[in-house]
Amino acid sequence: MSVSAIRRLILTGLLIAIGIALSIANPTFLTMDNLMTLLQEASLTGIVAIGFTLILITAGIDMSIGAVIAITSMICVNFISHTQLPAYIYIPIALAGGCAIGAINGFFITYFKLPEFIVTLATRGILAGLALIIAVKDEQGFVQNVFIEDEVFLSLGETVGPVYIVTIVFIVLAIATQFFMKRTRAGTNIYAAGANPTAARLSGINVDRTLIGTYMFSGFCAALASIFLAARMMTAMPEFGIGSELDVIASVVIGGTPFTGGVGDIWGTIIGTLFIALIKNGILKLGLSPYIQPIVIGGIIIVTVVLDVWYKHHAEKKATLAARRKAMQKEVAA
Amino acid sequence: MAKAKWMVTAAALFGLACGAASAQTVKIGYLPSTVGQALTQAWKTGIENTLKGQQNVSFQALDAQMKAEIQVTMMDDFINQGYNAIILQPIDAAALTASVKKAEGKGIPVITLNTDTKLPHAAVVTMDDEGAGYMVGQEIGKALNGKGNVAILQSPPGAQAGVEREKGFRAAMAKLYPDIKIVGAQNAAWNKDKAIEIMNSFLQVNKQLDAVFAVNDNMAEGAMIAAESAGRLGQIKIWGFNGQKSTLALIEQGKITGTAYTNAYDQGATAAKVALDLLSGAKKKGSKTEVITVPPFAATKDTVAQIKPEQRW
Repeated sequence: MSVSAIRRLILTGLLIAIGIALSIANPTFLTMDNLMTLLQEASLTGIVAIGFTLILITAGIDMSIGAVIAITSMICVNFISHTQLPAYIYIPIALAGGCAIGAINGFFITYFKLPEFIVTLATRGILAGLALIIAVKDEQGFVQNVFIEDEVFLSLGETVGPVYIVTIVFIVLAIATQFFMKRTRAGTNIYAAGANPTAARLSGINVDRTLIGTYMFSGFCAALASIFLAARMMTAMPEFGIGSELDVIASVVIGGTPFTGGVGDIWGTIIGTLFIALIKNGILKLGLSPYIQPIVIGGIIIVTVVLDVWYKHHAEKKATLAARRKAMQKEVAA
Repeated sequence: MAKAKWMVTAAALFGLACGAASAQTVKIGYLPSTVGQALTQAWKTGIENTLKGQQNVSFQALDAQMKAEIQVTMMDDFINQGYNAIILQPIDAAALTASVKKAEGKGIPVITLNTDTKLPHAAVVTMDDEGAGYMVGQEIGKALNGKGNVAILQSPPGAQAGVEREKGFRAAMAKLYPDIKIVGAQNAAWNKDKAIEIMNSFLQVNKQLDAVFAVNDNMAEGAMIAAESAGRLGQIKIWGFNGQKSTLALIEQGKITGTAYTNAYDQGATAAKVALDLLSGAKKKGSKTEVITVPPFAATKDTVAQIKPEQRW
């Protein structure tokens, strides 16, 4: 069995085990309401994590996702408070804004050959500041968090049956992205660009364009999550999403997409997101201090990464041994 | 067959667990913006003291870590866990409205502290932020004889309580003391360290600075530290807001001029009392939010002795 299949099995097993433990510890855990809220939480992180998975596959990183969430929500409330435009016009504009930010990130990374971390950290700062500047102000100039009353917009925070719309969107987006990555040439290009950019370039792949496209997609995902977040909270705040990077990175890394690029997929990310959401929900259910939350999440990242490295090393060793044995057998036969 | 048996056992266990949980204990949740502040701790003590004498009341506090998203998640958790009443200090008025609406929709009364939300709910127990800000404005104006330079240490943008305080203060300045100039206003994020940093820049830029209004006591203490190390504490009147224990002590020492004191124990206790009355049926929920205002008190070197030790938090 491959490394990723085994770790996925282990994770799924853990997921179920923790779920059972929690439902014994606190009977409210297994209620429909709680499970749906858990999925809603997971989906908000998950949508961003899908974009981030692709970024990690290219061996890059996008630190601007949190700030994209902030600025997108600010764009939306500006439309809501200063124009009469309907939601189905300004939402696509806001999403396009997310793509544009991604394009700018991608441009600086590819054209000037700058490190991804530096570029996206810089855009993060710029966007966080811009979000405060364009925030809606009251007559005395104080930032005012607008209470959104646009019904079409708010309906995005509602449910279909018991399931939140954001969860449905997350699932659809995840399936589409997985299909795109595994079944289309553009998807293969992303893997190739991450595994070995020089080889990819030599075999005729336009690596720069692939990278820019990936950052645009990451911006799009963050913007999409922002809209659902604003619809859920019925408002937008200039500090929305800032600091949410840890959860996103944790979800993707736990899902088995390493920082080294070239490997990873969306299924892993889905499991990783569920895992993080479950841990967070569980900490509240057990009445533990929420301060423990980042410690637990940080700890899980370390443990999974260590296990990954250890298992990979182990598997490689085994493969070399097997190859050597085969060669020896051949020699003996000869 | 074995499987069926297992399922029956599991179902029975589950039913038992549910039954045990609903055995008439009333669960009250407390969700402040953060638990790490004197004010929110004092509220908690006030709430706990009121609930202590009650039977079958369980109490749980969570920490929203100053992030509205986290607070919304925690509200959801209180709702899903079937809490009977929630005492909430919204980090943001607009951002928590949806959560409060959801809770009230499920028949869970929500009592807010200091920051009201945008839709009607059970009650809000609040300091009179704007009125108290006005009061501080009057005190500073009087002390400066209507002339001089003042600076403001602000709360983060969007924090309603801080904004109201500042509005009240500015209204007093504009109306009563038009000759007093507001030479600077910067966000020190409720935070002492940040306040020191900003106060230092105020001191460097303004050779003459006569008074500072910090919209909470932590920031007033920060301003004091900065002014003291610059050797200008004697020339600057510093006013805070809330009246926490440490600040009252500094007022007694003459290092901080004054603060708008509110009895936070009382405020927490009132909120808990409202929750209990609503749950027992002694009080009926109206169609509008019931507003309970806790009056402010101008604590200065002359008046601070009137605040008894057991009223200090």
